[in-house]
Amino acid sequence: MSFALAPFRFLGKMVVDGIENTGEICYILFRTVKVLPYARKNFNLIVKQMISIGVSSVPLLFVTSIFTGMVATIQAEFQFRNLVAAKFVGTAACKMVLIELGPLLTALVLAGRVGSALAAEIASMREKEEFDAYLVLGLDPYRYLAMPRFVAFFTMIPCLTIISNGLALFGGWIVCVLALDITTYSYYTGMQYLFNPMDLFSGIIKSFVFGVTIFLLGYYHGLHATAGARGVGLATKNVVVSSCLMILILDLAVAAIIFR
Amino acid sequence: MPNVKINPDDIMIRLRGLKKSFGSQTVLSDVNLDIRRGETMAIIGQSGVGKSVILKHMIGLLQPDEGEVSVDGVVISTPKFFDTHTIRRKMGMLFQMSALFDSMDTGENIAFALREHHPELTEAQIQQTVTDKLKMINLVPEFRTKMPSELSGGMRKRVALARAIALNPEILLYDEPTTGLDPITSDVINDLILDMQSKLGVTSVVVTHDMVSAFKVADRIAMLYKGRIIEVGTVEEIKNTSNPFVRQFITGQRKIEVEGTVPPPVAP
Repeated sequence: MSFALAPFRFLGKMVVDGIENTGEICYILFRTVKVLPYARKNFNLIVKQMISIGVSSVPLLFVTSIFTGMVATIQAEFQFRNLVAAKFVGTAACKMVLIELGPLLTALVLAGRVGSALAAEIASMREKEEFDAYLVLGLDPYRYLAMPRFVAFFTMIPCLTIISNGLALFGGWIVCVLALDITTYSYYTGMQYLFNPMDLFSGIIKSFVFGVTIFLLGYYHGLHATAGARGVGLATKNVVVSSCLMILILDLAVAAIIFR
Repeated sequence: MPNVKINPDDIMIRLRGLKKSFGSQTVLSDVNLDIRRGETMAIIGQSGVGKSVILKHMIGLLQPDEGEVSVDGVVISTPKFFDTHTIRRKMGMLFQMSALFDSMDTGENIAFALREHHPELTEAQIQQTVTDKLKMINLVPEFRTKMPSELSGGMRKRVALARAIALNPEILLYDEPTTGLDPITSDVINDLILDMQSKLGVTSVVVTHDMVSAFKVADRIAMLYKGRIIEVGTVEEIKNTSNPFVRQFITGQRKIEVEGTVPPPVAP
């Protein structure tokens, strides 16, 4: 009998855990948003995080974005060869990069780079009792630890997405000029053709959502890491896996809302 | 032993019937203890017995399952008590692993809470306070630019102590202040604990299993055993106790002299 009930028990536990975790993530968001008015006063902490999350991610993004743009353009040209005019390669590259590839790849790359770093940092702080030290000194950890990181993730990921979009289109142009025999003029007019500002905005709106998601999951998994190196390792793995999954789900959800 | 006048009826921290469990594991089953204003109380006991748990109850980092914690006459162990901020401003804590903010240098570690709680202070006044606090723990002002990662274990503890006294607390809690330090450095920390009591007149609670340290810094010692305080007394009383469980611990014997069950708790 108990064997027959096992799947239901497992399912029930999953549902309860899911509700519990969602509740806790909402609580982190609530506590962080509540201390947002202090952003101006603690602006130096925000700038520090912006540099660590944003500026230092640019080199990695530079490489991934240019190569993504190159591959997307080569693929577009290959698929459309002898079917449509060469200028549509620019149109396809532009649409792909602005709507999907730019925001999605930037978020996935940053989930691996800064999401895991956030979880490891918070886990290590918790283990070394730094959280308790803030409380004992009468300081709110949400104000000094969570809020600066939240603002940095919320602002830097859209900025990085815009940079990534630009770099990917630049990568596409390099391929067109050097390998595909498509002129700069053709590529440029192709990009303009069928361009809809909503393409760009939808990507940026998505990146705001992705930024908040990576922050919340990174902070949550850092807070719940078990002690020791294994605990930190597990937390970083969990944040990358859950962030990537959530990014893909939210990508679909936002796309469904915007492009209905 | 420090020579500070203490009124036995003036209780700063009062613990009554404290119970705390983590999951199925009961850590504190019935803790009763009074800590007098101005005294240094050492809480001794084996590793993992719940000494640090008591300390965290005193500063409101943990809430008891049952029982009461009062600090300076204010009951802080109720979910309705939200003014932890005011109580914590009266208290400073030295953590077992120092818990320095790794991303800030020594000076900023000491100045951080000061800057946030006293926006009326000028930068020059804050820097002067940092210098004063560093001097108080016998470190030269040049130490302010060192990052925590550049400091040894003993130095980290000293800087953490400077940070704990930055807001001029009335109560100082020390969680294993000498753990992991060599005997000479441990003695430096012990002297600093005595200095804090004589210079600042603070009430101190030292959680330790280092008997050399406990005998040196404490006015009174309490022994925690299986979730209860089984003995409280002055250093001399503890040294001459007939309680076999306390004797076993202070002499570092693996086997107990008299076999028995859990000893009866004592009155606070």
